[in-house]
Amino acid sequence: MPTHMPHFPDLLFEPAARLRAWEHALMGLLAEAGYGELHPSLVMREPLEPEAVRFFDGADLVALRWDFTVALGRLLSSRFEAPPPRVSYAGAVFRRPQQPWEPVERFEVGCERLQAPGEDTAAADVELARLMVAMPAALGLRGGILQLGHAALLRRPMEAEALDAETTARVVRALHRRAAHRVREALDGHPAAARLTAHAEALLAEPDGPATLEALAASPYAGMLEDEIAHLGRAHAAIAPLLPPGLELRLDPADVQGIGFYTGPTLRLWAPGAQAELASGGRYDRLYPELGRDWKAAGFCLRLSRLLDLAETRPELFGGEGAR
Amino acid sequence: MSLLLAFPKGRLGDDLVPKLRGTALALDEAALKSRALRVPTATAGVEVLLLKGADLPRYVAAGIAALGIVGSDTLDETSEDLLELADLGFGACRLSLCAPGGTSLEDLRRRPHLRLATKYPKATTAWLTKEGLTAELVGLASSAELAPILGLADAIVDLVQTGGTLKAHGLAEAHVLGTTSARLVASRAAYLAEAAALGPVARELERALRA
Repeated sequence: MPTHMPHFPDLLFEPAARLRAWEHALMGLLAEAGYGELHPSLVMREPLEPEAVRFFDGADLVALRWDFTVALGRLLSSRFEAPPPRVSYAGAVFRRPQQPWEPVERFEVGCERLQAPGEDTAAADVELARLMVAMPAALGLRGGILQLGHAALLRRPMEAEALDAETTARVVRALHRRAAHRVREALDGHPAAARLTAHAEALLAEPDGPATLEALAASPYAGMLEDEIAHLGRAHAAIAPLLPPGLELRLDPADVQGIGFYTGPTLRLWAPGAQAELASGGRYDRLYPELGRDWKAAGFCLRLSRLLDLAETRPELFGGEGAR
Repeated sequence: MSLLLAFPKGRLGDDLVPKLRGTALALDEAALKSRALRVPTATAGVEVLLLKGADLPRYVAAGIAALGIVGSDTLDETSEDLLELADLGFGACRLSLCAPGGTSLEDLRRRPHLRLATKYPKATTAWLTKEGLTAELVGLASSAELAPILGLADAIVDLVQTGGTLKAHGLAEAHVLGTTSARLVASRAAYLAEAAALGPVARELERALRA
């Protein structure tokens, strides 16, 4: 999909047909699993995000929908007394890109699993992981890597050590780059530097299977994180047998992207040659309480614009059932 | 399909090539003497792309090259999403505020309209913010030392290794903003997808190059 500044792509014939076919296949899979479609308005009102595409509607400053999870959160929390358990969505979002190659207008398909307090969130996480495992085949993607992480593995120790916002941001940036030396620099002089550095090194064990979790046993925070480590182990054991040929699973405790939003397990889909993840999701239990509802939530989103790019640059990666 | 590594041309590249001689990743000398930008190594199936430092992060982020060596100064200016696997220590420099001899940091602070020439706008902006200063940044790609002499800027923010170039232009370091060194970087997708192939090459680079 060739993109030109300002990155509002026109899809001509083949990519347009591919997008339509992918949306149809993915939404069909989600419908079969009991997820009902919601279509929040393309126009969102305040509060607006700085990266949103904003414009005036009369005297009101509004924005094009920049994020489905935010749009659905506002819609569901204001229109429903109890959470609809399974919702799906498909369409475009408009957001100023962080990377120069990304378009402003991006196509997405995704789903959210909502729960009232007291419901079994671990089972919901596994349900979503099973669905994500089925997505590459629906897209005709021959291979890929699923990266399984857990946001609380870093978040809880940093909160326990009362790290300030700036140091937290530096540690997260460093771990996101897998740069142990930058973690040491960021923590230099902090009273918990030795403990947190040892923890970061445990998180940075090479992404792999259960052996990666064993490395976490060496962390000074292993006791505090017992539940999270066990949860990750169970998720790994539940997903591994479901993997189709060509799809590999990497357990990566150092996956800290979106740690400000996610609160539990995270899952990302990668493919060789992709510049960013093709799908991402996880548990974000703080969103609905912020909107006045005590609901739990998890979900994932497929970045169809990135997949369209990949289909053009690496066509050999596609060719399964869902390919065009 | 070859595994591609991205190496920088210029100062860092000049330091790097001799360190790899005699290792499994030694660059082919005949190819180096030609003007080839894609050079075989002593290991079959592993080739090196010789790139300008500023272009290198994009090649790695896009997964064209699976691994690369780049200065932390370049890395800190890019918005590309890369893994930074190791600080290799060599090619160490200071990122410094440099002004005509006799001009101190305090002199520069008192300027009502401070003009700084640099090819490191992100690092300079971060420092200015930390110091509570404002300045007009004059973006230059090279030869920043000329800017204060010819009146294009009051001072420069640039890399200093020995200070010889500064001295030759009548400039001196007024303040050190930070230090930089060579880093081993990797493509995120390649690191996840080809960990088994990348691991030994990354370890060999680290072993050979770590200062």
